[in-house]
Amino acid sequence: MPPFIQFILRRLFTAFVSLIAITMLLYAGVMLTPPEARARLYLPQVNGEGQASQALVQSVIQKHHLDEPYLVQYSYWVRSLLTGSWGYSPTLREYVLPALLRRTPVTLELALYSLLLLIPLGLVSGFIAGWRPNQRFDGLFRSLAYFGTSTPPFIFSMVLLAVFYVQLGWFAPERMDVTTQLELMRSGFVNYTGALTLDSLLNRRFDVFLLALRHLAMPIMTLSIFYWATLGRVTRAAVFGQRNQEYIIAARARGIPERRLMWRHALRAILAPTLTTMAISASSIVTSSFVVEIIFVLPGVSQVIVKAMRGLPDAPASLGFAVYSVMMVISLMFILDVLQAILDPRVRDEVLKA
Amino acid sequence: MRRRRRIFISRWQNWLGLALVLTFTIAALAAPQISPPNERTVGAFKKVGRSSDMTPHPPSEEAILGTLPGQTDVFHAIIWGARDAMIFGLSVAIGAFIFGSLFGAVSGYAGGAVNNLMMRIADAFLTFPALAGVVFLQQIVAVTIESMGGSYWFNPDTYGDMVYFPFTPPPFAVFLMKTNPVLISLILFSWMPIARIVNTQVITLKNTEFIQAGRALGAGPVWIIHRHLLPNAIGPAIVLAARDVGSSVILQATITFIGLGGASPWGALLSLGRNWVIGPGGNLLATWWIFLPPTLAILLFGVGWNLLGDGLAEALDPTASINQNPT
Repeated sequence: MPPFIQFILRRLFTAFVSLIAITMLLYAGVMLTPPEARARLYLPQVNGEGQASQALVQSVIQKHHLDEPYLVQYSYWVRSLLTGSWGYSPTLREYVLPALLRRTPVTLELALYSLLLLIPLGLVSGFIAGWRPNQRFDGLFRSLAYFGTSTPPFIFSMVLLAVFYVQLGWFAPERMDVTTQLELMRSGFVNYTGALTLDSLLNRRFDVFLLALRHLAMPIMTLSIFYWATLGRVTRAAVFGQRNQEYIIAARARGIPERRLMWRHALRAILAPTLTTMAISASSIVTSSFVVEIIFVLPGVSQVIVKAMRGLPDAPASLGFAVYSVMMVISLMFILDVLQAILDPRVRDEVLKA
Repeated sequence: MRRRRRIFISRWQNWLGLALVLTFTIAALAAPQISPPNERTVGAFKKVGRSSDMTPHPPSEEAILGTLPGQTDVFHAIIWGARDAMIFGLSVAIGAFIFGSLFGAVSGYAGGAVNNLMMRIADAFLTFPALAGVVFLQQIVAVTIESMGGSYWFNPDTYGDMVYFPFTPPPFAVFLMKTNPVLISLILFSWMPIARIVNTQVITLKNTEFIQAGRALGAGPVWIIHRHLLPNAIGPAIVLAARDVGSSVILQATITFIGLGGASPWGALLSLGRNWVIGPGGNLLATWWIFLPPTLAILLFGVGWNLLGDGLAEALDPTASINQNPT
């Protein structure tokens, strides 16, 4: 078996272990509530308003073994998760899993474009700043990055809205305006993926593509600037320590051009600490993208909790959301780890050795 | 100790951080003197005019920083919000600090398979987005209260939950009503870095000679953890906790702003005045007293604690020298 596949398999196994651990913790939280309350997780769609009858609750408790020990209950719960029955949410008026899946493309669009924008920008700008510290670019970078890390995204988003939406009218919040939505429905626009930027290209509607970008610009900027600044600062610190290492001095003495030295030798060496930082803050990236979605009224995954929190308690939706967002974080960590293994020669060699 | 103090006072950034944190501390402690509440004050919100008047008024004698729609005094909410922020931030930081360092120390001291398992659990917590945790805990509280016979609503307009019992609530329900799910979930999701740092320190320290000597003299594990390991591992953990104070208050304000609870007065100010934050023509400064005061308060609170954390990190780092190149 090729070593890289081995690495992927081992990494998948750790992801799986994390998932087991976190779902066990989640279900331990659920266990704090009495069985009658836990029965809500499995209550079927009830017609009309009103509470489920006592008999129904008892039968649900019986059927899903809700009065048995923790591990038994946990295994039954996992079984129901695996078979795709994540419960019915009374506030959303639909089943939880389809509700989450339907909204995923919007969140993915936002997170993917932001990461594609901020990782290269953060690495390159932090790298240049750290390679020649205390120069003009470094000063500019440090003040911008400091501003970026200390401004909370929700405040930054208000400034963006004031400037780019109200004053200039370049960008807009929400996913699309109502007229476009009606026009698309009438003109037979096919939703292949659910991500508007991709769908518009597949439908050969470049006007809709531009429109989608217009609506995505501000969320992407808000999400990118914060993590660009974080990543850039970490990169700068890593380069700062790496700059005068012996291997760099030796390579310079052998006459390797400065540019090649920077981008081929040093950059590779600093990828490990920087991408690890990103992987560790994966959960904060996911949280921030939810926050950005809510502020700019994008109908992403976070819409589920926004709706579920308006009014009555909705246990299936919030538990489903928790499990789903943990899965998102774990996959993001996995992707960043694999990326790092591909790019960093040391990690790659270690993989080959182990 | 003197060397540490000299390192700390040698940079103006540390002074700025200290000054900001002190300002907020004074505002928090002296809130009743700086801005006395009147009879129409609920929490951090003081009404100074007719509540039906939905136009925000610029600064006046009565309200130094103007009013929100509904005539809520901005200045009062900023000062009393500092008290809330301080209590909230310090509770999260201290909670995370105590739990994290205990977890890390015990796990590192135990070593071997136990250490592996405990650190795996800490890693599992890292994969949990705080926002999902907030919602999840809030729902658990809601469901528990409903199963005790009470009614629970989450009301985004009052930034919190409302509980009604048709009879005297049982003590456990009262306890649940008093707990703050956002506070608990922020503690639950910020102790892991502290645990990890303490853990690494403990593992490296465990095999050093003075610990071995202590063992040979018959010191028990509790004594060793308490007397030797924690004091040595505590510096970096304090730095992380100081930064947590600022970041947790920012996260709390964010959660309040997007309407998922948290009850941060600063976040609520922005959210209550949301129709006026951006004035006509996209001018953020047309009704500046709605946008600027809470924004600056949140921003400076975060910056202050971060600078203080950076300064402490340098001062507590035994390898730092006084005139080193600032990074």
